[in-house]
Amino acid sequence: MMRSFPISLPVVIAVFAAAFASAQEADRHLAGRLEMVRGQIEDRGISDNRVLEAMRKVPRHLFVPENLRSRAYNDGPLPIGEGQTISQPYIVALMTQSLGLTPADSVLEIGTGSGYQAAVLAEVAGQVFTVEIKEALHHRSNRILHSRYPENVHTRLGDGYYGWQQQAPFDAIMITAAVDHIPPPLIGQLKEGGRLILPLGNPFSYQNLVLVTRQNDETTVKQITGVLFVPLTGFALTRGK
Amino acid sequence: MALIAVFLISLSSLAFEVLLTRVFAINQWNHLSFMVIGIALLGFAAGGTWLSLLDAKGGRWEQRLSAEPSMAVIVVLYVFSTIFAFLSLNALPLDYFRLPLEPIQGIYLLLAFVILTLPFFFAGMWLAVAFAAFPAKTGSVYFASMAGSACGAALPALLLPLWEEGRLIVITALVPLVVIPPAIYRKPAAASEPAIVSRSHHRFIAAASVLILIAGGLLLRPGSRHWLSVEPSPYKSLSQALRLPDTHVTRTHQDIAARIDEIASPYIRFAPGLSLKYRGALPEQRAVFRDGDSRLVLYEDLNTETADFARYTLSYAGYHLVPAPAEVLIVQGDGGVAVACALASGAGSITLVEKNPVVAARLAAQYPLSVYAGNFREYLQRFDRQFDVIHVENWGTSLAGSAALDQHYDFTRDSFARYLAHLKTGGVLILSRNLQLPPSDSLRMWATAYQALADLGVDRPGAHLLMLRNWDTYTLIVFRSSPPAGSADISEFIEERNFDLVYSEPVQRHQVNRYAVYDQPFYHIEIMRLYQAFQTEQTDLLLKDYPLDIAVQSDNRPFPSRFIKWHRLPQLYQSTGSRLYYLLMSGEVVVAVVLAEAIAVSMLLLGLPALVIRKKYRPLTAGRFFYFLSVGAGFMFIELFFIKQFVLVFGHPTVSFTVAAAGMLIFSAIGGLLSQRLPAPALPASIVLLVVFLALTMVFCHGLLIRITDGSMMWKVAASLALLAPSAVMAGIPFAAGMRTLLQQPVNRTQAWTANGCASILASIVSVQVALTLGISFIMLAAIGFYIIALVCSYGNRGGLLLRLSR
Repeated sequence: MMRSFPISLPVVIAVFAAAFASAQEADRHLAGRLEMVRGQIEDRGISDNRVLEAMRKVPRHLFVPENLRSRAYNDGPLPIGEGQTISQPYIVALMTQSLGLTPADSVLEIGTGSGYQAAVLAEVAGQVFTVEIKEALHHRSNRILHSRYPENVHTRLGDGYYGWQQQAPFDAIMITAAVDHIPPPLIGQLKEGGRLILPLGNPFSYQNLVLVTRQNDETTVKQITGVLFVPLTGFALTRGK
Repeated sequence: MALIAVFLISLSSLAFEVLLTRVFAINQWNHLSFMVIGIALLGFAAGGTWLSLLDAKGGRWEQRLSAEPSMAVIVVLYVFSTIFAFLSLNALPLDYFRLPLEPIQGIYLLLAFVILTLPFFFAGMWLAVAFAAFPAKTGSVYFASMAGSACGAALPALLLPLWEEGRLIVITALVPLVVIPPAIYRKPAAASEPAIVSRSHHRFIAAASVLILIAGGLLLRPGSRHWLSVEPSPYKSLSQALRLPDTHVTRTHQDIAARIDEIASPYIRFAPGLSLKYRGALPEQRAVFRDGDSRLVLYEDLNTETADFARYTLSYAGYHLVPAPAEVLIVQGDGGVAVACALASGAGSITLVEKNPVVAARLAAQYPLSVYAGNFREYLQRFDRQFDVIHVENWGTSLAGSAALDQHYDFTRDSFARYLAHLKTGGVLILSRNLQLPPSDSLRMWATAYQALADLGVDRPGAHLLMLRNWDTYTLIVFRSSPPAGSADISEFIEERNFDLVYSEPVQRHQVNRYAVYDQPFYHIEIMRLYQAFQTEQTDLLLKDYPLDIAVQSDNRPFPSRFIKWHRLPQLYQSTGSRLYYLLMSGEVVVAVVLAEAIAVSMLLLGLPALVIRKKYRPLTAGRFFYFLSVGAGFMFIELFFIKQFVLVFGHPTVSFTVAAAGMLIFSAIGGLLSQRLPAPALPASIVLLVVFLALTMVFCHGLLIRITDGSMMWKVAASLALLAPSAVMAGIPFAAGMRTLLQQPVNRTQAWTANGCASILASIVSVQVALTLGISFIMLAAIGFYIIALVCSYGNRGGLLLRLSR
């Protein structure tokens, strides 16, 4: 027993050191997350407690490339490879809140990307169906989503333009990919009273969010301004003088 | 041999500079390609500074460096650094978008700048050596340099259709190596100075040359394409599309104007402005990309039935008001939905005008329509036809600010006048664009149309305008003659498709902000403010107060995507969420950053010898310093004036650059040769004559260019060259004659070279901002101003006229 002491001691120390470092890192990420929710999201007017709780809970740093993890809780979008981005935390919270989800709702997300938005939706809605057309992104996000949300997140590699007909209709649809028109099949897969949301502009400079509501086979579109731009009209215009 | 080396290095380095602008245009964004001019000039100026530092060591350095073996070393270093710079740039994981996020990207960017400067440094060094070592042949050196540069500017235009950008860079880089064998194997003249390398080292120079040739050969063989292939930025739409499954490039063509890639994919679905009420499918599509972006879709089997979806697009509103138009003209930019609209309307005759000949040929192969390859002003001037509908389809950039520097004549007040002049009675002009928030582009287009109608003497211009929008696009309709009788018809169209009215006269308030609802009807409010301003003749006040620059653009200031007001930048910064990276996406902000860097680097290059050498430093007199500074700035301003003016004639900035740069260089080379015979006292007179030519050019250039836009390509090139020839010949004299008659010491010539180079860098950057804010003609005014300064400085031997007067 005594003879093995000199060998096992460094091993034990190393294990403890690694565990300590890991715990410290986890603490640092948690602190970053809490600060993110307070400073970037609550202060900007997001008030839905369930959305705020989801943003506090989902470890955003696990969804970004390793070399950018230290910036995971910064106030901005981050590149995730394949020319794609993970949205700014505030945009994720605003889009989620704008859908007005309940735990009974089923949501379709077009464009899984990093998987972070799907994870936040999974904390707020009942069932989340998410479609990604790019294979590399699908496999990457699939791994983490299935390990954390095996019950209520369903991923698929495929063309989101046609939605997910087998699981339709949906209470809400979120499009996170760039589109120049809202695919007609998606409108058809919305429940009566269902909501569809999409951001406008480049992922690095979203200007606006568009919320489509389907009611009596009519659609209305609400532009949620102030995502990035404060419209320079009216009050803002005179204030600048 | 020295003059041949000057010629070949000038040719090769100018070709590299032009090809680098193509590389940047493809793998980054257009406004970054603008920085290449700065990098090149910086390298040239640095070469001069290095020689000034060398002067402190004494020992007739200019003779030692100009010896043929020394020249061979510089040539080898130039060739190696050019190929190395391109390969490094291609391999560097530089991602402009990550710059504000990852500090390492700043290092990559700096590395790219330093590496790219190296070839120009060696090229500039050899040119400065030649000027310093052969004072009696200054005119010949200048001629060889300018003639070589002219050939280098023209070469990519001729060879790019044969070899892609990377291959051509390697081929043109290798060209100067032809001077190596005679340089190292020819017996030196008995009285010549020893070279910086002994003749025993010649075999190393020869070995290095052979190794570079072998490496070049290996790079050029078909199997090593990936080393030289220039890939578009991952954020460009081509890269995005190619990540989709079953998507591949079916053909690629590159020339000096653009790289054109066509892709086939089951996932291309383009229908901007499509109503949410539409439930059908879209036809299959292919897509053509210019420089990896600016997508144009081609619908498969398009006919009246398959184009039915187009009836549900916002752009179709114009066709709804002019049912079954007999003659339609489509001015094609990016997009492609205009063809579908015209076909769905049952138009009798459809003519497409597309600037790029390759894309025009593709459109002609896709659709059984009349397709004209050229710009629309040339078409309208050549074929004096009248149309029921003129549809200008150009959606604009999705990346706000990235097109700020793009010079476009499709949306100037002068162009609107031409559109309207070619409409039949009852005809309409349709403009389809992306909506931007804060309202900017839509306001500018509305104001431009209003102004063009007022220019035509229309009584109530506001009554001839109609603007509609959906959630992300708008359509402006301009009526040539009387306002439409069927406004009820358009109400029905809007209702059925759930579109919103932005402006009409009288205003139908119940149709404003109804289906795509903002907190307030921002677009309507701002256009009504604009309308009121026009009514009360307070437009200037409104344009001054508005936080963005939405002024009507003219042929003299054709930058329709430029909106920044510098004194309102803090407000814009705050309104965009205080994000620096957002501002850095604007081409105009990049120009400002580059200018700040260029000022710092220029001061360093000019001041470094004085700081390092101190006591032994033999500086230029103030008069001589400002003379060469002014001549450098003046020359660059003239060149950029012609480059920008010729875009109107040739339709593309790179073609315009090639013609203007080649013309300026070849004619100023002739001026340089003429300067050999010019006696020193005649120098001021030659500058006075130049200023007169410049003033005449500034006044008459635009009017003359408009007259040649409808000619053949040969005619346009010949006429453009004839227009710039007098100014260019005279502009070639001040530098060459000044070097010969005003300077005695070799080191002063290298200092003059550096001053000239630094002034050129700054002028090339400043001219962009001058054109954006004041207009292109002001660039020529700046040139005139600098040559007047040079004139003042050219008097006397020491301090110039000002100094003499002060005494």
